[in-house]
Amino acid sequence: MSLFTQPIGLTHYLVVGAILFAAGVVCMVTKRNAIGVLMGIELVLNGANLNFVAFANPALRADPGRAVAWMDGHMIALFVIVLAAAEAAVALAIVLSFYHNHASVDVDEADELKG
Amino acid sequence: MNFHLLLRSALDDTLGPTLAAFRPELALCATIVALLVVRMFLPRWRLGPPCVAAVGVIVALVLAAPWHYLSSVGMDRAVPIFTGMLTFDTFSVFLRSLLLLFVLLFVMFTQCSGVPREESATEFYVLVLGATVGMCLMVSANHMLVVFLGMEMASLPSYVLAGMMRHERRASEAALKYAVYGAGTAGVMLYGISLLVGALGSAHLPTMAGALADALAAGPLGDRAVVLMLGSLMIAVGLAFKLSAVPFHFWAPDVFEGATAEVAAFLSVASKAAALGLLVRLVVGLGGVADPAGLEALAPVRHYLGILIASLAAVTCTFGNLAAYGQTNLKRLLAYSTIAHAGYMMMPVAAMAFLMGRDPAGARAAAAAVVFYVSIYLFMNLGAFAVVAFVRNATGSEQIDHLAGLIRRSTGLAVCFAVMLFSLVGLPPLAGFAGKFAAFAAVYDAGLISLLVIGLVNTVLSLFYYLRVVKVMALAPESEEHPAAEIPLGSTPGVFCLALTVPLVVWGIWWNGLFTWAQAAAALLVP
Repeated sequence: MSLFTQPIGLTHYLVVGAILFAAGVVCMVTKRNAIGVLMGIELVLNGANLNFVAFANPALRADPGRAVAWMDGHMIALFVIVLAAAEAAVALAIVLSFYHNHASVDVDEADELKG
Repeated sequence: MNFHLLLRSALDDTLGPTLAAFRPELALCATIVALLVVRMFLPRWRLGPPCVAAVGVIVALVLAAPWHYLSSVGMDRAVPIFTGMLTFDTFSVFLRSLLLLFVLLFVMFTQCSGVPREESATEFYVLVLGATVGMCLMVSANHMLVVFLGMEMASLPSYVLAGMMRHERRASEAALKYAVYGAGTAGVMLYGISLLVGALGSAHLPTMAGALADALAAGPLGDRAVVLMLGSLMIAVGLAFKLSAVPFHFWAPDVFEGATAEVAAFLSVASKAAALGLLVRLVVGLGGVADPAGLEALAPVRHYLGILIASLAAVTCTFGNLAAYGQTNLKRLLAYSTIAHAGYMMMPVAAMAFLMGRDPAGARAAAAAVVFYVSIYLFMNLGAFAVVAFVRNATGSEQIDHLAGLIRRSTGLAVCFAVMLFSLVGLPPLAGFAGKFAAFAAVYDAGLISLLVIGLVNTVLSLFYYLRVVKVMALAPESEEHPAAEIPLGSTPGVFCLALTVPLVVWGIWWNGLFTWAQAAAALLVP
């Protein structure tokens, strides 16, 4: 049973979500540019969001009876979208302030505090 | 159910128990608006922002009314509010009031020490109060959405606070590190929540625990167990970051050193207290249900959570204490001490997880030990950071060596600082001893002897680096180019430090009153 021969189901969505999550984590860990790291964080958040929405879709669930569950998923996804915007605003402001002081957005430049 | 009925029930729930229980948070929100309005209309009122913030926090504290809810007639059951998103019980009343008390002391502290500067005072207090609202949500969370939102509401303003001195290189570096690590771990945590919510079919903690109990009672979990473990480990990443638990502690020393001592005090006390409250909520929420059969079925979950928290606590505590040895900067030393204390405070949570099914009274005592320790920790750590800030104001230095001669130039302050440090060690007859004793007693009750031994060895280890500071203060000769700070006990900073020291001495001897409140806070927590 290969994923490619099956009709689109919950698993397919979860696989895409997991790929987004993994790509985001790799991006966070390997990028030296602060903006790149922030993009990785956005990918992780959206991978999680895709999971929420997929789990919340009654057509994809084996037990569509749990009405509460799918309201939860959609609601969380909406809140996370708003929150990701707020987080990006704050993080970009901080990156800008870092740039003013260091003339660079390379996270490797942030090495004065250690020990 | 039609739309009209849905609306009616939502309205009844909101106007009935919810708004009454949510008044402190609403007061904080109103204060935030008031701060912004005051800046708009009275931009020249120098004392405006701190006054408005202090009055707002006092109003919120009065509305939280811990003296009513924690008395013997206060509450007899937990009330779910906002249709079960939050839970309102004595535990949330206690921690909320503690956070509000801390913010009140914090506003006074910032006025004594003169940070923030006048032009950024409004933003500073708005951010502090905003973070406090998030923390209040964290300690009463009953739903995974509130868990995540509360954490982010507490974190986002903290990132900005860390970089408040925006023209300083080190402050912007601290803020960048904090924001990047914080947002990254929050993302991982959200993914973990999505796995857990998907596998259990709900985001409401009691419903999740119920589904988990049903699944466990029906037989082995198979593949779902892997998903659940992965999800809970990812959630642990986010929580460990907030608690500054090893291996997600590395931001703490850097951020504390780069940010001002005031902000470091806020992060080290308020943010830790809220994260600990959230940890207790999650353990109780996922590890316990009301009916005895379900509680029995959840035993493996509690065992898993207990082992996870206990091992994190042991590693955190040991690492924090060992890393504190080589430090020369006071704020860095206190950062590692904060990490170690996060370890001590997680120990009774682990004990609670182990005790929950078999000994409800013991589990309640463990939860009481957590909040008892947190309330004492508030005074000793805020006090220590306050001394650092006042010494910095007087001498411009945060090095331990530059404290030499403090005992001669400002005797009262040095004695207060020594009392705070000894209390952080946990020496009798100070309050820190009472807190540690309660925490270790809970660990002993749970039969976690190896954890108890680790805790005791760590206490002995920690004695030396705290004593080193006291030794420099009292015995080291004062250097010519770095004269010690001169801060008489009668000045405003001196009085503030004394006011934080007195409770440590008093509670060290008469700790029954506070402990009774802590017991009341834990009374409704464990099923």
